[in-house]
Amino acid sequence: MEVSRRSFLHFAAASVIPTPLFAQSIGPRIVSLDYGLASTLLSLGLPPVGISDLADWDRWVVEPPMPKSVVDIGSSFEVNFEILVTLKPDIILTTPYLDELLPKLQSVAKVVRLEIFTPGIGPILTAAIAATRKLAVELGRENEAEQFLARADVFFAQCRSRLEGKNLPPVALVNFMDARHARIYSSPGLFHNVLERIGVRNAWTRESNYWGFETIGIEDLSKVTDPDARLIAFDPIPPDVLPKLAQSPLWNRLSFARPGHLSILPPALMFGMVNEAMRFAGLLTDLLEKEA
Amino acid sequence: MVSHRDNIGPAIVFLLLMCGGGVASWFLAAPALSEMARPDYDVTRMVFTYSTLPRLATALIAGGALALSGALLQQVLRNPLADPTTLGVSAGANLALVVTSLFLPDLLGAGRDLVALIGSATAAAIVVSLGARRGFSPYSLVLSGLVLSLWCGGLAAILTYLNQRYLSSLFIWGAGSLAQQSWVIPLSLLWKLAVIAIGCTFVMRPLSLLDLGESSSTALGVRLLRLRFVVVALAVALAAFVTSAVGVIGFIGLVAPTIARLSGARRPAQLILWSPLIGAGLLFFADSILQLVAGGLGDFLPTGAVTAIFGSPLLLALLPRLKICHRLQSPAFRRPRRWDGTAPVIIAAVGLFVLLMVSAFLGRDVNGDWAFTSGEFSVDVLAIRIPKILAALTSGAMLAVAGSILQRLTGNEMASPEVLGISAGATFGVAIALFAVAPGFSGQFAFAVAGAISVLFVIFVSSRRSAFAPERVLLAGIALSAMVDAVVGVLSSTGDPRAVLLMRWMSGSTYLIDGSTAAMEVALGAVLIAVSLATRRWLDILPLGPSPSAAVGIPLAKSRFALFGLAGLLTAAATLTVGPLSFIGLMGPHLAREAGLARALPQMVGAALIGGGLMVAADFVGRTIVSPYQIPAGLVSALVGAPFLMLMMRKRSAS
Repeated sequence: MEVSRRSFLHFAAASVIPTPLFAQSIGPRIVSLDYGLASTLLSLGLPPVGISDLADWDRWVVEPPMPKSVVDIGSSFEVNFEILVTLKPDIILTTPYLDELLPKLQSVAKVVRLEIFTPGIGPILTAAIAATRKLAVELGRENEAEQFLARADVFFAQCRSRLEGKNLPPVALVNFMDARHARIYSSPGLFHNVLERIGVRNAWTRESNYWGFETIGIEDLSKVTDPDARLIAFDPIPPDVLPKLAQSPLWNRLSFARPGHLSILPPALMFGMVNEAMRFAGLLTDLLEKEA
Repeated sequence: MVSHRDNIGPAIVFLLLMCGGGVASWFLAAPALSEMARPDYDVTRMVFTYSTLPRLATALIAGGALALSGALLQQVLRNPLADPTTLGVSAGANLALVVTSLFLPDLLGAGRDLVALIGSATAAAIVVSLGARRGFSPYSLVLSGLVLSLWCGGLAAILTYLNQRYLSSLFIWGAGSLAQQSWVIPLSLLWKLAVIAIGCTFVMRPLSLLDLGESSSTALGVRLLRLRFVVVALAVALAAFVTSAVGVIGFIGLVAPTIARLSGARRPAQLILWSPLIGAGLLFFADSILQLVAGGLGDFLPTGAVTAIFGSPLLLALLPRLKICHRLQSPAFRRPRRWDGTAPVIIAAVGLFVLLMVSAFLGRDVNGDWAFTSGEFSVDVLAIRIPKILAALTSGAMLAVAGSILQRLTGNEMASPEVLGISAGATFGVAIALFAVAPGFSGQFAFAVAGAISVLFVIFVSSRRSAFAPERVLLAGIALSAMVDAVVGVLSSTGDPRAVLLMRWMSGSTYLIDGSTAAMEVALGAVLIAVSLATRRWLDILPLGPSPSAAVGIPLAKSRFALFGLAGLLTAAATLTVGPLSFIGLMGPHLAREAGLARALPQMVGAALIGGGLMVAADFVGRTIVSPYQIPAGLVSALVGAPFLMLMMRKRSAS
């Protein structure tokens, strides 16, 4: 079988640093204004030409890594249209969150609007899977999408079976905002859905907003009454939080303060889609497996 | 001699607040207390002991400390408007903490207090040194404080804006939350408050003598300079400690002494005794009620922002009854140089043209390199840029003209849409439009006009009795601005994504402007500015006073009303695109006057050119400095405008 020059170039380009040529040479030119949609594009084999907030990708999403060829088009609230038009996109992916930009985006290229985080949509993971399929239909990548979703299913099932039969504690998932406040994640959020999929109980039972989080004072953590409950905090944690908590008698009385009941996970994006759900599932399963 | 009758009023107020807070706290604590009877349930008791009680204590102590800080400042600066919020002390601490958490996060673990103290002290030093040149007059102090607060707030906003996800905690902090998990904060605040209160007893006598006037008190052996330094230092330290511990809690330091004064406390000693008690009661009451309400909503609400939401209207309501026993210094209008103003206007116009060209054709490309716009995308890129530039130009010009009108009408050279809170009112209208109804440009304009006009109306009503004493107008404006800020603070800290939209409105971004919006803006601006220029005769004569104006046949009430309405319309239209705090309305007219344009017509034309130019420059800088990310033009211009204004105040007071 002869290797065509083009596929060889592809291979070469993919193995060293991807150049803009590589990004341009396949499929439509897509710009994504949402982290979750951007990582889904990577899984569908259509890397975007530009995404918003690229500067913070490594801090919040981490994986899958964005190819070097992708251009930063500024913050998602204030997409830099000067750069956007220069990228000549064919398709722009957006969410209801950015609806006020719609008319302006539509004057640049075809806009595909996918609903994931909207009031009343229900469990976010289900919505994210539906959005992935819808996106695939728009881009003519149904096969890749089904393969990707099947991979995700297998992965969740693997996580579930790895944890099966272990005496799993219920977990509370938080981001510490400062030494006195945290965001805690629950139904209908993405992370809560992941917990359900891999068979872990969420210790925080109260429903939250449609983004899947609520802001609480640290003292509210006392509402978690299960003595075995585990507190899982995501990085980044502000530097003064843990020392301050250590001084608090209330904190020290909570079951979370007992050794081994507080774990810190690397950052995972709580407002993402299937990739982010998988990343979180993997991180959590590794952690619980190690500690069980 | 302190008469007992004077103490009854404040005592009643204090008791009422404490009872109200006590009843509300009882409702909060009752479930826990009843559950505590169960021996097997320890956590409830822990929460009660280490969260509920410390929170109540923190509310009492922080309220007392802030009110004491306000009372001390008001007494030593002989200025009823001084407090940690108006003097920029809280904003200074806030900025210091934002900068530290971004660039030197490890410092926070070590010494939040120290960081906040440095920020507050720097802010206070700047404001007080500016005020000192003018005998601490309410104007100069509150204005420089306000300007500095805005500057710090603007810079903090930009940093927050560029690091949104990372700094979400700073929203909570900036909105002041009293949630506690231990006794560490209340206890550390308590001993600091105690030490400073003891310090206060040493300065009580000289402080009381200050009421006799400077010369008499000096004759009685008061060392003015040292006394001022010591008392201001005590007050700033108090505010900094509270701010670093629980965040920015607005208005307690202004409201508590005001209530004390209104309820009958007259002498300095009484004020300094009752203010902290009333402040403690006030914050205790507010926080207990808030916890009851928020508990019902199951939502997170920061106390500081909420006190500001309720504190500012309360202040507005009290305003007409406020006895101002301090002598006002009337601002000295400098004698106008006789200049026809052609030269400066031509220079300004040429400069503006160059600026427009640069701003339209220079930008950053995909790789972030500077590049002149050319080639295949130039039409597209210009189609994006030109509307923004035109909108910035028009809004800047409108604000500057509105500023000129207001300054001439109030006879106060510091009056401007930003300072009088008219912009804040317009923003409030826009916010309501965004959240409740979300209509297009015309709808938002209608809401903004409604907001601006209602603020003007409030200012009018609250200052009618005082024959438009600028001081009250100023106070009303500050109260309103703080209220808008507080609303945004509450929204931000609940994590509502729409808060970011509102923040963008607040910060004055030209981002959402397209061709048609810009066209409407330009048309609106052209009409309004033309009408303003047509009122030049009124504006030349009205500042001379009511009798000369009536003598030449100007209908006083009507003309004033019409001019204020015009300023309101101009402000509302401009606020739609550049937000409430650009300072152009203050800078434009000033610079025009500096250039020697003294009469109404040349001053307005010059101000419009300068204001428009400044806004275009701000927009350009904001678009290119951290490309591809964009900083709102309103914020950029405030960052340039605030220090500039302070320099000018210095210069003016020195001359």
